Amino acid sequence: MLKRCISAEWMKLRDSHIWMILMILPIISVLIGSVNFYMNQGVLKKEWYSLWSQVGLFYGEFFFPILIAICCAYMWRLEHHNKNWNMIMTAPVPTTSIFLSKLIVVGILMIAVQIFFFILFFLGGKLAGITADLPRELAGWLLRGWIAALSISSLQLALSMHIRSFATPIGIGLCATFIGLGMYVAHLGLFFPHSLLTIGMGVLSQTSLSFSESLLFIIMNLLYIAVICTGAIYRMSRSDVVA
Amino acid sequence: MNQIVSTHGLSKRYGDTYRVKDVNLSVNEGDIYGFLGPNGAGKSTTLKMILGLTRPTDGKVTVFGKNFGANRRLILSQIGSLIESPSYYGHLTGFENMRVIQKLRDVPDKNVTEAFKIVRLENQKDKRVGQYSLGMKQRLGIAMAILSFPKLLILDEPTNGLDPAGIGEIRELIKSLPQRYEMTVLISSHLLSEIEQMATSVGIINDGMMMFQGSMTALKNKNRPTIMVKTQNNKLAQKLLLAKGFSPQQNEDALLFENLTDHQTAAVNRSLVEANIDVMRIEEHKKNLERIFLDITGKERSL
Repeated sequence: MLKRCISAEWMKLRDSHIWMILMILPIISVLIGSVNFYMNQGVLKKEWYSLWSQVGLFYGEFFFPILIAICCAYMWRLEHHNKNWNMIMTAPVPTTSIFLSKLIVVGILMIAVQIFFFILFFLGGKLAGITADLPRELAGWLLRGWIAALSISSLQLALSMHIRSFATPIGIGLCATFIGLGMYVAHLGLFFPHSLLTIGMGVLSQTSLSFSESLLFIIMNLLYIAVICTGAIYRMSRSDVVA
Repeated sequence: MNQIVSTHGLSKRYGDTYRVKDVNLSVNEGDIYGFLGPNGAGKSTTLKMILGLTRPTDGKVTVFGKNFGANRRLILSQIGSLIESPSYYGHLTGFENMRVIQKLRDVPDKNVTEAFKIVRLENQKDKRVGQYSLGMKQRLGIAMAILSFPKLLILDEPTNGLDPAGIGEIRELIKSLPQRYEMTVLISSHLLSEIEQMATSVGIINDGMMMFQGSMTALKNKNRPTIMVKTQNNKLAQKLLLAKGFSPQQNEDALLFENLTDHQTAAVNRSLVEANIDVMRIEEHKKNLERIFLDITGKERSL
């Protein structure tokens, strides 16, 4: 059932322009970050780590959450338009599958985005003349970034499902990145999805997480995903369809 | 006969007002059930409650003899529907749109080909639906609804936006569905003429309440002529005729009789003349279906 919904979601993404957004935002973040790094090599001496601190700041704190918000808003925009709510809600599939299939598709897209971002980061570093080996924490940052991205995706999907406007949930997402930054600074990062991204991707502190920190990080993300999805799905199955 | 859809005391309230109140709708197997009512009478709301798109405030929906709430997926897998206006993804072609539904409904490829053929969109299926005309979108909507060749087809104003030739074609198509595919059709419309040409059963809803439900023949039987008798003194005439066992009704400046045979008409006339009441006119009035519909819905204004 879920598989059928996922393949229907893939079908809907054909010929859409969402790919452009998914590529442009990482390119911008790496571009700004790398130029910043290149111009200030006098102060930024830790090679890949310094580059990550620059690129990651733009990507993890700003462009990536926005990219997720846009992607999630797009997924629901498809249904908000042209009475498609009537169609999906009269299809013989559970509402759970409808919501989860969107989350899974966004999740797959985010893997692609993270890989693309990694390639850009690598190219940026090489072009800026870094010769050292890639940091061993890198894979962890990317993976944890993806896990936190799933939490943010759940939140954004729930918002965009409920709010018919395309821009409003993205605006809320933008506010959330600032709140996330504040929570991180106040050491309450575990209690906000956007701060989890900051922690997970090692944006502001490039020291790697200890085992227990990692475990807590994953548990918190799973908790967010579970709670938000359950709430959204419950709401979906309970409220009247407005197409 | 098997009941395919039945609702019991179905109601939907928004705030203080009932959009649909106590509707007991019943559709039998093999019927083409015409659900008729003026704009805003509650047709779409009722259909949406049958499909589970809207949650009833009160009442029960039974489809294929099963309670909707407990058997949602099973029931939906055997219903095809087109509600309000067609659903579509504008950036996808007609064919890709059908593929989306095909995936959700898990039906074989040949259904897609056949559904396109039935609505005669084969040649347009590779065009983006965003560029379709309103009529083509409507056809696509119907194709999507019949894609799984369901036992029950629910169509909400399916001929909206079609040109006269298209309307005729869709009408013939709908009429053929019960025999060709053993479908039961529940179709709503605000146009009596449309329903008259297709339906075997009729439900008439107005202001959220079911005003009439029965076979098309029963509705047409309401179409009995009335005899209007205009006399010099209607009051006196009424009194006299009541005493003679007739049941005239006072209507403006005349008396109205229902179910009067020719002989009885003659007898009425004779009695009046003998009582020295001048008879000025005797007219036969035939109500057409339009008139019956207006009487039932009490709406002269908009249909």
